[in-house]
Amino acid sequence: MGIIEGEKKAFMTGNEAVAWAALVAGAEIMYGYPITPQNEIMQYWTRLAPKHGRKFLQTEDELSAGFTTIGGVLTGKRAFTATAGPGNVLMQEPMSMAEAMRIPTVVVVQQRGGPSTATVIYSQQEVTLTCFGGNGEGLRVVYSTSSHQELYDYTIKAFNTAWKYRFPTFVLADGYQAKMRESLVLYDPEERGIEMVPTEPFVGKPGMPGEDRPPAHLRNTYNIEEELEEVLKKDIQEYEQMAPEIIEYDEFNTDGADVLVIAHGVVFRSAAMAVRKLADEGLKVGYFRPITLRPFPQEQLRQAAAKAKQLMVVESAYGQLLKLVKDNLYGMDLPIHTHLRPGVGVTPEEVVADLRTVLEGRED
Amino acid sequence: MGEAVRIAIAGEGGQGVQSVAMILTEAAALDGKEFLYIPNFGVEQRGGVSIAFVQIGDEKIGAPKFKTGDIVIALSDRAVRRMGMHVGSETLFIYDASIKDVEDDLPKNAKKIMAIPALETANKELHPRVFNVLIMGAVIGVTKVVSLEKAKEAIEKKLGYKFEQNPELRELNFKALERGYQLVAEMGVA
Repeated sequence: MGIIEGEKKAFMTGNEAVAWAALVAGAEIMYGYPITPQNEIMQYWTRLAPKHGRKFLQTEDELSAGFTTIGGVLTGKRAFTATAGPGNVLMQEPMSMAEAMRIPTVVVVQQRGGPSTATVIYSQQEVTLTCFGGNGEGLRVVYSTSSHQELYDYTIKAFNTAWKYRFPTFVLADGYQAKMRESLVLYDPEERGIEMVPTEPFVGKPGMPGEDRPPAHLRNTYNIEEELEEVLKKDIQEYEQMAPEIIEYDEFNTDGADVLVIAHGVVFRSAAMAVRKLADEGLKVGYFRPITLRPFPQEQLRQAAAKAKQLMVVESAYGQLLKLVKDNLYGMDLPIHTHLRPGVGVTPEEVVADLRTVLEGRED
Repeated sequence: MGEAVRIAIAGEGGQGVQSVAMILTEAAALDGKEFLYIPNFGVEQRGGVSIAFVQIGDEKIGAPKFKTGDIVIALSDRAVRRMGMHVGSETLFIYDASIKDVEDDLPKNAKKIMAIPALETANKELHPRVFNVLIMGAVIGVTKVVSLEKAKEAIEKKLGYKFEQNPELRELNFKALERGYQLVAEMGVA
């Protein structure tokens, strides 16, 4: 019998939605260290887990939470952790190791204000950190969600992407999504035809290494430069091969847009409302939303941007999405307007006001 | 993402602001509506003004926070000062009539400002502990976002465990709800 019978509409917080999603996805253990605004993921998980034979380990900090998640995965467990802000900073060391060793960890990040302790509330300031935080090339998958339904859907999906392609996978949300209550539909992935990718241990497999099976050879240390380069070339090639299979995005009204708005995460909701309102008035505005921030939907954005006269990047950070956009549009000659609010939520009215200014050519 | 009713309720910790939001949104869910409810949960929550941002509508709600509410309710002097930023030309601003010395701090740009004797009514006619439910009745009175019937069901669902021990509490809460509703009706808003 499944954990959830049929489709069940529910109102809950985003943190609760993540805990339910991990449960139905078959996550076997969560490792974690408390930090606002993700605490309730741990809280709900520790309520749900014992009833379903799942486990939880509270570690001494986020370094340990990340490394124990890797340890859990190495033994073949579908394992995950969740963090935010300064915790996400500490999480980068273990996640670099996961990148190096191709360990399918899943991390849920509920962004808070930064830098440092800053606010416990909200931001989109952990984009660069979550996409490129390690001392490497950012060989990871980052899904940016914008609703509780997506938190649920993409937490389930994150386990499958991680275990299929063996790159550390992140679900990137924020304090608003963590703490607000709204509706979503809970379901058992199996009932929707979503098959969970099976897990397997990386170490301690049966048989004699070298005779019955190849030896497990997990390395994050190399002796010579070329040895490292060879491994990275292969990893990068596999990452680039994977990209077109997992890239996700959303777009609206991109044909001949006077302004194409680019936003992600919860800010996308405000951007979309603003764009739809002005489009209803007959104005030529559209939006493009990357759902995967890593790998980034480069071709898709370039195609949409090629049809637009100007761009406007909207985010609760001072240019982190903007950097991704510029990098991916290199060589295209388009004016980019911005609405950058580090650590502060963006309302649809504010985006409407800025869009009108740009459309009327009033911006200096 | 249709137009939703935007409600912001602010008060001191312990005034039951978040409980009102929980029960009100529960009623909305029972009524088959969509809602989005987000508390302010910054460090100011510990010893500061507690605010509940609630949106209720027929379709999925868009952005989580809003700049200006349709209804903004302030239950303390600090809340009156704090909530000015969420008031616009379309806002009905309601505050408790017992709050002293805030005449100069009342928003200048509201569509309408109402002082309702909620605390006094709760204290004199009912019980101080149902002050927040009376406020909820007033919110429903001015917005009609949910029916009184669903509100009662929601109260039962959220507080039923308390009523089991003390059945009189049920009547007290229902009375407070209706009294709040009447209060704004008498003032010609409902």
